[in-house]
Amino acid sequence: MRSINFNLTFLLLSLLFFLHCEKDDICITSIQESPDLVILLLNESEGTRQTPPGFTIRPIGTEKQLIQRTGDSLPLPLKLSESNTQFEFITNTGSPDENIDTLQINYQRKDQFINGACGYRANFILDKTAPIFLLNAGNNWIKGAVILKDTISDETTAHLGILY
Amino acid sequence: MKQLHIWGFCISVFLIQWDLSAQNTVSPTLANATIDSLEVKPKPPMSLRFGADLFRLVRSQYEDDYSGFEVVADFRISPNFYLATEFGNEVLTKQSEQVNFTTEGSYYKIGFDLNMFENWQGMDNQVILGLRLASSSHNQFLNAYTLLDRTPFWQNPEDQITSGFATGARSDLNALWFEVIAGFKVELISNIYLGLSLRLNRLLNDTVPENFENIHIPGFNKKTEDNNFSAGFNYSLSYRIPFRAQKN
Repeated sequence: MRSINFNLTFLLLSLLFFLHCEKDDICITSIQESPDLVILLLNESEGTRQTPPGFTIRPIGTEKQLIQRTGDSLPLPLKLSESNTQFEFITNTGSPDENIDTLQINYQRKDQFINGACGYRANFILDKTAPIFLLNAGNNWIKGAVILKDTISDETTAHLGILY
Repeated sequence: MKQLHIWGFCISVFLIQWDLSAQNTVSPTLANATIDSLEVKPKPPMSLRFGADLFRLVRSQYEDDYSGFEVVADFRISPNFYLATEFGNEVLTKQSEQVNFTTEGSYYKIGFDLNMFENWQGMDNQVILGLRLASSSHNQFLNAYTLLDRTPFWQNPEDQITSGFATGARSDLNALWFEVIAGFKVELISNIYLGLSLRLNRLLNDTVPENFENIHIPGFNKKTEDNNFSAGFNYSLSYRIPFRAQKN
């Protein structure tokens, strides 16, 4: 009886030691990071989604360039420390008809807990009344914007439609 | 420090009472011994043992980010069966990967210990298997965190957010769990015991703080994602008050 008890206790003790091992906290890459704003360029007169000819976007306040992408939906990184980010939207880049519209995107940041290893993800909520401001007066090629999805929590669908 | 004084007081009170009660227990047994020819069935040696966890006290001294204590008590109701309890309080500040937080709160644990060890005459050591039901009441404070941004454009992803947004307190949180215990207690000198116990904890229920997580729960220790188990231990020094001695 006594030796059985001893063995049982020893077994439980060693079991406890093994179970003490815990997995490391690693933020795996499949976890969605802080999303970018996905915009869609909408041609109002023709009713199509397409980028205008010679279209480029230049971020204001940095030397960095955005990665140029083809396609009608474009991801724009938003500033985390401020509640607005400004970009220059340019059509007919380089040609005599070049038209630069300075656009300010207004939003609120809301941080969402992922887990201890990854920390938080910044989500954004577009300003409902004025998602964009056009900062340059006159001769705007951009006509307006429509909110497609006001909460920016992933990059799977477009959030903001830019009408021109 | 205040805790220490309270303990000092409790120990003294118990010592005095034990001393007083010991004085008038001798004579009746001696008087009856000659008359009663039947063997007196020995009653279980009931005793109360209480003490403090040494590890938490030491850790509070050398670690700035931790302060805590745990007091332990058990009550022997039969030769190998003890009712046991622990009570503790912890304040811990921890940087867990991307999140810096402070947990503060107290916990209590109630259950029993079974002694698996057959002592030789005059010895009183235990090899223990036990079970506890435990509950904590705590607060979580999120001090700082970083945002997950693998393709940073505007900012340095290392930037800590230390105010506003999700930071701040989450109060009135609770957790409930049970513990499976294996350990031993050794009588060092008369009535003084040194005990080590290892605990496997299984979380039953906890209130999840809003937009945050119970990464650490006082008494339960680290709560991992997709796993309800955690482990802990204590290293206690106890004093026994034998208020009904075993008759031989």
